[in-house]
Amino acid sequence: MSEKQLVGTKCNSCGKIMYPKRVVCSNCRARDLADIQIGDEGKLLTYTSLYATPEGIDQMPLVLGIVEFDNGVRVTGQIEDREVKIGDRLLPIWGLLRKGKGGKEVYGFKFKLSVGNE
Amino acid sequence: MTKFGRHDDKSLMDLLVEASIKALEDAHAERARIDSVYVATMLAGELTHQTCVANALTDQLGLLPASAQRIENGTASGSSAIINAYQAVASGVCDTVLVTGGEKMRHAPAAEITDWISTMTHPTAEYIHGVTLPSLAAMFTRLYMERYGVTREHLAKVAVKNHENALKNPYAHIHQKITVEGIYKSPESEINNPVISDPIRLYDCCPVTDGAASTVLCSAEMAKKMSAKAIKIGGVGNATDPLAVCERKDPIVLNALKEAAARAFKMADLKPQDIDLAELHDAFEILEFAESEDAGFFEKGTAHEALENGVTSLTGEFPINPSGGLKARGHPVGATGVAQVVELTWQLRGEAGERQVRRARRGFCCNFAGFANNVSAIILEGE
Amino acid sequence: MTEDIEAMIKLDWDISKKPYPPKVIKLASGESMVVREASREEVPVLLDAIRPLTTVSKDYYDVVAARMYSELLSWYRYRARNEFCLVGVVDGVLAGLVNNRHINEKEVWSHHTIALKRGGRVGAHLFAAKHEFSFEYLGAEKIYVVAESPIGFRRWMNEWRLVETGIQHELQGATAWVITRDAYLKDAKPRLVFGERPVPKDMLEQSKHLKLVTPDVLEEK
Repeated sequence: MSEKQLVGTKCNSCGKIMYPKRVVCSNCRARDLADIQIGDEGKLLTYTSLYATPEGIDQMPLVLGIVEFDNGVRVTGQIEDREVKIGDRLLPIWGLLRKGKGGKEVYGFKFKLSVGNE
Repeated sequence: MTKFGRHDDKSLMDLLVEASIKALEDAHAERARIDSVYVATMLAGELTHQTCVANALTDQLGLLPASAQRIENGTASGSSAIINAYQAVASGVCDTVLVTGGEKMRHAPAAEITDWISTMTHPTAEYIHGVTLPSLAAMFTRLYMERYGVTREHLAKVAVKNHENALKNPYAHIHQKITVEGIYKSPESEINNPVISDPIRLYDCCPVTDGAASTVLCSAEMAKKMSAKAIKIGGVGNATDPLAVCERKDPIVLNALKEAAARAFKMADLKPQDIDLAELHDAFEILEFAESEDAGFFEKGTAHEALENGVTSLTGEFPINPSGGLKARGHPVGATGVAQVVELTWQLRGEAGERQVRRARRGFCCNFAGFANNVSAIILEGE
Repeated sequence: MTEDIEAMIKLDWDISKKPYPPKVIKLASGESMVVREASREEVPVLLDAIRPLTTVSKDYYDVVAARMYSELLSWYRYRARNEFCLVGVVDGVLAGLVNNRHINEKEVWSHHTIALKRGGRVGAHLFAAKHEFSFEYLGAEKIYVVAESPIGFRRWMNEWRLVETGIQHELQGATAWVITRDAYLKDAKPRLVFGERPVPKDMLEQSKHLKLVTPDVLEEK
């Protein structure tokens, strides 16, 4: 079974982990890189509820946040939950993000609250 | 520069020509030959359907066959044009160069403008998720509030200060007095100052503006021939940081600015304490605080206290944005970097009228592409 | 014959028996705007104020001004029933006007909103005030809204979370959107309706002698 996972890049030279994927290490410029799973759960660094939303986005407001994983990697994405706070634990989930140009559906990773936050 | 605002009856070229003629006259350009013309504009193609604007301007001004180039660096197009022009003169390749930045934006729907501006963000890590620049500013502001105790009231006070300054600036877009009561303290402020992206509100964001600004750069020898009022460019710097805000070392440290400012200060052989006034890139009012800190004028996390104490007001020890800044002077995106240099030039010459800063001898300006992905810093010195 | 028509128009439920209590609103500029009901006798001054806008195509001022002109004139000449008009006044100067028409006590056609003073959300505050008047003082249950300009659409339909109906608005047949009293009290009022009462005596007195200045849209280049 292939559950979609958040996959980034790990540098085989210096160990730096990057997301989104790269072909040149952002730390040491090495080219010997490999895929790596970023993580199952991260903590919310900061967030916002955007009211002036772009075309193709139906959510009103659109909740966006920066999530930091235990390995230090940070990911920006939509948050499904309306009420969140800094420090909440969130799970990456694969889903519909918006409509793109020409009305085409765009999928990607977004976040939802883990069970167990206050 | 032209007046910044809404110019329905003028084309982008009209604005570029108007500003350029004023600059050429001010610099007594008839005493020299313009070797090269740099035009800064981010959205000329997208919004006005014209792309080769630099040679078009050169033609309109009767400056053929001067060399011409368009400089596009997002919202830092203006400062990048200045830096390129500086390099052309400093290298000896050119003696006298015209730099004009301009943008015509107000005719386009707001949603379209926001979208073009959003294209400066990371395509897969940010843009596709619905991230816009206001949403980045909002997340940045939330962190600043959390870490340093900046409040909505502090942000309101920056906007009030900048609007107040712009009332004294005949070129400014926004001539509107606002009060902390009207935009923050009163219950009506919920309507007067609605949420754009929580916690950022309408009056925390700069407007969309039409306008152009222009200046002539020349070698020291040419300056003697042309005008006694030439102001020296002491130092320039430009630097980059990870495109996606989340990939930066510390999301609320403007590393590209720190680097660019360090380069400019080194070139000028000056320190932040040598500077008398600054024009900063307050596309969002939180950035006035963050930039003044990361450029070295205040310790990180203390600029809002300096504002409270009146340090950064027009009559304070270190006036910031005497022009009204991006917030109230306006932000025709390609023009802004040049407009900052024009304002500092006037200030250092003592020609800033009612908004003249006392003892303005050295000025600093910084101009941002995107949300601090790519930043320029320029230092000007009078006398 | 004329008396009969006028008798028909003055029907059993008379809007004029329930006055709007004036309030004062703080604008972004720090200025205070008095919001009060306009009297029929003031209509000629209001017509003077909006007449220059009937030829300004920007933001559909011409259509809105022309329609409001006819509504106010009809009201003045007793050829329209249950119209009311609220005005916003800043330092004695007319800043904006709004009007509604009650079909009956419970159902209302929202008519127009004109901001003469731009950039201060005068229109938004006055739009809210006319909803406040109809729902909270006149007993309305439903208000039907339509917007001529894109600015209006964004403000009213989105901000007020109006619901699309299938019926045509009396203003030239555009689809009407509706807000119910319930939705107004629970959702719109806490977010969108503001102001302090009573208005200080001097301020209220000053607001009664309307001064007119050139509308902002005519000054904008």
